[in-house]
Amino acid sequence: MTKYLLKRLLHGLFSIIIVVGVVMVLIYSLLDKMQIFAADANYAKVKNNNKITYRYTTWERYGYLDYVSYQDYLYELTYSGEITEEERSAAVGIGRTPEKDSEKAKEYTKKFTDYYKSKGYTVERYNAVMATKNKVADGGAAVLFAYKDIPLIVRAWNYFTGLLSFDNINAVEDYDGERGIEFTWFDPVYGGEKFSPAIIGSGTKHRYLLYFDSTFPFIHQNLVTLNLGTSYSVNRGIDVFKTMTNTQGAYAKSLVTFPKGLTEESADDLHTATYVPGSKDINKVNADRFDTDYTNVDLVRNGFSKMGYSFVIGIISVALAYLLGVPLGILMARKKDKLIDKIGTIYIVFIIAVPSLAYIFLFKQIGGSVGLPTAFDINSPTTLMYILPIISLALPSIANLMKWIRRYMIDQMNSDYVKFARSGGLNEGEIFTKHILKNAIIPIVHGIPGSVLASLTGAIITERVYVVPGAGNLLTEAINKYDNGVIVGVTLFYAVLSVLSIILGDLFMAMVDPRISFSDKAR
Amino acid sequence: MDYDFSGCGFTEEELFTRVDHNDLESEKITAPRYSYWHSVFRVFFKKKINIVILALLAFVIIFAYVYPAVSTYDEFGNLTDASAKHLMPGAAIDKFGFNIHWILGTGAAGQSTFDAIWYGSRISISLAFVCAAINMTLGVIIGAIWGFSKKVDIFMMEVYNIIGNVPYILFISVMVMLFTASFWTMVLALTITGWLGIAYFIRTQVVIIRDREYNLASKCLGTPTVKIALKNILPFMTSVIVTLLATEIPSYISYEVFLSYIGMGLSDMSLGRLIYAAETAMVTPGWGFEFWSPVAIASIITVVLYVVGQNLGDASDPRTHM
Repeated sequence: MTKYLLKRLLHGLFSIIIVVGVVMVLIYSLLDKMQIFAADANYAKVKNNNKITYRYTTWERYGYLDYVSYQDYLYELTYSGEITEEERSAAVGIGRTPEKDSEKAKEYTKKFTDYYKSKGYTVERYNAVMATKNKVADGGAAVLFAYKDIPLIVRAWNYFTGLLSFDNINAVEDYDGERGIEFTWFDPVYGGEKFSPAIIGSGTKHRYLLYFDSTFPFIHQNLVTLNLGTSYSVNRGIDVFKTMTNTQGAYAKSLVTFPKGLTEESADDLHTATYVPGSKDINKVNADRFDTDYTNVDLVRNGFSKMGYSFVIGIISVALAYLLGVPLGILMARKKDKLIDKIGTIYIVFIIAVPSLAYIFLFKQIGGSVGLPTAFDINSPTTLMYILPIISLALPSIANLMKWIRRYMIDQMNSDYVKFARSGGLNEGEIFTKHILKNAIIPIVHGIPGSVLASLTGAIITERVYVVPGAGNLLTEAINKYDNGVIVGVTLFYAVLSVLSIILGDLFMAMVDPRISFSDKAR
Repeated sequence: MDYDFSGCGFTEEELFTRVDHNDLESEKITAPRYSYWHSVFRVFFKKKINIVILALLAFVIIFAYVYPAVSTYDEFGNLTDASAKHLMPGAAIDKFGFNIHWILGTGAAGQSTFDAIWYGSRISISLAFVCAAINMTLGVIIGAIWGFSKKVDIFMMEVYNIIGNVPYILFISVMVMLFTASFWTMVLALTITGWLGIAYFIRTQVVIIRDREYNLASKCLGTPTVKIALKNILPFMTSVIVTLLATEIPSYISYEVFLSYIGMGLSDMSLGRLIYAAETAMVTPGWGFEFWSPVAIASIITVVLYVVGQNLGDASDPRTHM
């Protein structure tokens, strides 16, 4: 059994890697990379040579290529101590044309060109664009840079190796205190008196590596961080996973005691503090509150996260679907060709055939006319606003479950074991609940983990129609905004969930049906 | 037993005639002639509701193709006339006089909603038929090969698992961005991976039927695989294929509507695009017609196609021909 599971998981892992590879080919190689500027207001503003450098720096940020400007190269040399600051400032200014370079600049531009050409980069130099004979046009200064396309294999390798990052006491460069890990029974965030164990790091990226608080799942860790991919335009600079899991809405303020002893109403979540060099003394606000450079904290907001909203709506509608769909399907099978079966069939045909957009709008219209809120508002949450999205999600799943339960039940009804049970004198009720249902429910059980996990990813149309701030629209939003990091991250997330739900479904099925076995011996 | 036939007026010879054994006659089957498609349509038309729905389908399709061909429609004809925009049917008829164009009111640019939905239906129906034709042909052929060959099966299962995990809208959006969002781009986007699901379905059916005894016997007698596929298995699957087609065709219309709604649809004026464009009109009192008309016509087309297909699928199952 374990061996079989391991094999399945490995197989799934392979599948996931290929999926991410395919998606990377799709978005990095097939799409025209000029497309990302289509909706970029900045791009329209920058002019001349600045437009070219803007293009390349943006491409670098989006992960298309590796870009090094001449200036960066000289900074790098200064930093590593190869040249002095004076030499750098003498070499950094390049002439309007290569012929007009100073001696120093000529020397270093040649070095730059040779160095990057030998590493396979393409080196490009654009002469200054002149507005008048002696005046350089806006954004027209001469530029020199090198770039290299990142091959797919390298990109995929970097992505997968960077997927998990482990925090350690050497994570921060030039930490100005003593590095180490400290364990306390009394978490200082709660004033140091309340019993609450925590592990606090110094020299680590996160201040709190392990801590308890009052939100689900109560024990939290920052030791391992998942990096699905950094967003550029959807939620700039934030990882996809954080985009999906961070709380939304208005700030939820509470009394917070800062490390320096100041207590005030604040939305800061001190448990999420990360290290920012020199940030303690950067302004008075930080200096009054923090005694270390661990000042970068997340803010607590009073709404759920994107995934949270999707999950709440999704899980309730899944529960509703199974609670209603299964009994209704059984009823349809029992009363085959009677009125209730016909009404049920009309409903199923309606849901299958009518475009989902159409009936969701219909529900919205009907719901709105009876006074239910048709749009989500995270700042004044009511229970009522969940009703329409849940109904819109549940009704199609109910139809789907009814369809299959009815089909499986009717297929079983003519089996020999049913005839045998009937001839043995069991009444119809017993036959249906004890014999047919147990067999017919098996394929349905297979889908349960899938539908539970799928509620994490959200629903595209429902969330759009009811303005739910959920995770369902993340992918479409990322595609519309050309946010490559988010596209890859979300795809990976979807692929993992889909592989998991199939494996879990099989396990579930084996639990319900003793005839199904995955161990080699039983075969 | 002793029967008395004397009162019936038959002579002894008439009642009993000697019939010799005839080799040629004994080969003949005296059952009524059975024609498959004849029986399919007999069963199909036996249900009166099918005739009504089929007539409705024929009406919708003919209207969608003939009406735009004989009428002229200019989306921006009334663009400059502010009083022509977002009119209810009554107001539009008052303004322009009674004409079939105005029976559903006007839209955001003062265009006729009635004309717009038929132009849109034509594009959406064409898209659905073209996509269904391509996907079904590819799916059935590849699915049959997939089901028969064990080597192909191992390879295709991997492809299926992988492609199935790539979000479908990603494929489509890449296609739409690579080319312009024209009709044929949308066909390409919907067919590039669309056949895979059908092929998988057909493969499962083929695997189920492939190893039945009669096929095994046929194989032992030396029938080539192609002939087994065409003569032994394909007839078995006709009803399955027709039923599948019944769900496929409406699903493309739904898909097109969905894609247009999330902003990745056609640039032509399809039903989906009409719904997308008129979305704001839904919540505005008095503008309802321009939103609900394309929604209603899309629903009618898909429901009618689905019901006709399902019933044709039922009728094409030979077990219902008794």
